[in-house]
Amino acid sequence: MKRARSAGIAALTAAIAALLAAASARAGDGAAQRGRAVLEAAGGCTCHSDVKGGGGPLAGGRAMKTPFGVFYSTNITPDPETGIGRWSDSEFVRAMREGLAPDGHAYFPVFPYPSFTGMGDEDVLAMKAYLFSLAPVRRENRPHDAWPPFSWRIAASAWRWMFFEPRRFAPDPARTPEWNRGAYLVEAVAHCGECHTPRTLPGALDRSRWLAGSKDGPEGELAPNLTPDADTGIGLWTKTDIAWFLKTGQLPDGDDTEGLMKEVIEHGYGHLPESDLQAIAAYLHSLPPVRNDALAEHEHGHEHGDESAE
Amino acid sequence: MHSIRIALTTGIAAALLVTAIGVAGAASAQDAAKADEGAIKYRQSLMESVGGDMASISNIMKYGLPLTGNLVVHAESLAAHAKLVSTAFERKVTAGQTDAEPAIWAKADEFKEKTKAFETETAKLVEVAKTSDPAALGVQMKATGKACGGCHDNFRKPKEESFKRKGGGGE
Ligand code: HEC
Ligand code: HEC
Repeated sequence: MKRARSAGIAALTAAIAALLAAASARAGDGAAQRGRAVLEAAGGCTCHSDVKGGGGPLAGGRAMKTPFGVFYSTNITPDPETGIGRWSDSEFVRAMREGLAPDGHAYFPVFPYPSFTGMGDEDVLAMKAYLFSLAPVRRENRPHDAWPPFSWRIAASAWRWMFFEPRRFAPDPARTPEWNRGAYLVEAVAHCGECHTPRTLPGALDRSRWLAGSKDGPEGELAPNLTPDADTGIGLWTKTDIAWFLKTGQLPDGDDTEGLMKEVIEHGYGHLPESDLQAIAAYLHSLPPVRNDALAEHEHGHEHGDESAE
Repeated sequence: MHSIRIALTTGIAAALLVTAIGVAGAASAQDAAKADEGAIKYRQSLMESVGGDMASISNIMKYGLPLTGNLVVHAESLAAHAKLVSTAFERKVTAGQTDAEPAIWAKADEFKEKTKAFETETAKLVEVAKTSDPAALGVQMKATGKACGGCHDNFRKPKEESFKRKGGGGE
């Protein structure tokens, strides 16, 4: 039944391509142009596109199945009534970097603000300029369908208070500029960890197992271990393999990638300049290897004990 | 005495016959199971072959190897293997160590379309490989990859449901 998602991918691809083509004509100015590159580095924000469900690209409404219930993404086109058309620059920055809506309510962390918090303001604002250069789409947001206590709005505030700290990305002077660029992309903009890092029971990223693979990625997908562990991670991939994969979606054994990863490559990472792909590869190679077989069947209490449950 | 002998002989003959039928039945069930297993193994190794050629082309491209003359061979191999896909899935086997979706046989027309698309894209790949134009090759490799994904999307189980996950043969 998960397969139903893929039926929409082709339609999504066509619609987004059309949308981007239309937008690039309009997005003459530099900020919007740069913003498009930032949006691509963020994977194209395809989670906000529910073409399969009849919604326009980036107009929200796509169901994101998580262990905490089903969340619906929001309309991020510049429609003033149903989208973000009335948002000021500072409201947009606050949403992205602090997880707070213009009316002050906290977002659920399905919106990856805990990663976007690392983004620089200039990148966030360029992204806004680009989004505002797109055609507005009128589409009401749909309420989430989560289980208590995650269905309570107050839960999002509580969660944010307990697990979130705004933290801008700080380059490590001991590392190369290439490594720092890779770290910035992976940790903040491209938010790889949101899918590839296992979560603790309350749904926070388990930073002790950073990028070590998650059995419960968005939409119930399984996101493999990206640390250089030879057995359970991508320890046998060369940097060239990683960069090529992020550009083409092709695995070193010739197989193709599927589902969400295919989407974020097609609408996002695949358009990054080669230097950025190499930077991401350099960063991934530098991670401490973590043994975690995300492919192993679900155990009880998915949040811990993979190492011992072999 | 004579009638007893006849009865005995008949009885033994009957018993032998029953046993023979039983053995034959068991043997044919065993044959069927083996043929099913073989069908799965074959289609998977066929997929590994096309994966191998895709990987070889990609390795030449991504490392910029001076082996561009080999590209045509790999492309031709892909095109030849693509023609085998439809026969590899003729036998309907949905149980066992397989990631094939039952939709392959339930939506046979759609599956056939995907097989055709794969044949078409790999045939184009052969033509492009002959021109030694790297940009065009990149574009056509992408199209070929889409032909793989276009079929896998609906006809191959996703990782979450794969038989390869430890402890599970799926549903
Ligand atoms: C929206 C969720 C999501 C995001 C964001 C994401 N990934 Fe993935 N990724 C996945 C899923 C799901 C798979 C498994 C795809 C499949 O089953 O074919 C995957 C597969 C991969 C693989 C293949 C690993 C293997 O062993 O087969 C690599 C490498 C990878 N991702 C790297 C990245 C990097 C690097 C980033 C950030 C630049 C990233 N991903 C961002 C969901 C995501
Ligand atoms: C017409 C449909 C179709 C096309 C086209 C197709 N595949 Fe497949 N592929 C499948 C199916 C179905 C399976 C699952 C087979 C099974 O497990 O019984 C599969 C499985 C695989 C596997 C895993 C094999 C294993 O050992 O379990 C690989 C690798 C693969 N395909 C690669 C490719 C590549 C690369 C391409 C394109 C060059 C491609 N496939 C094109 C249908 C297709």
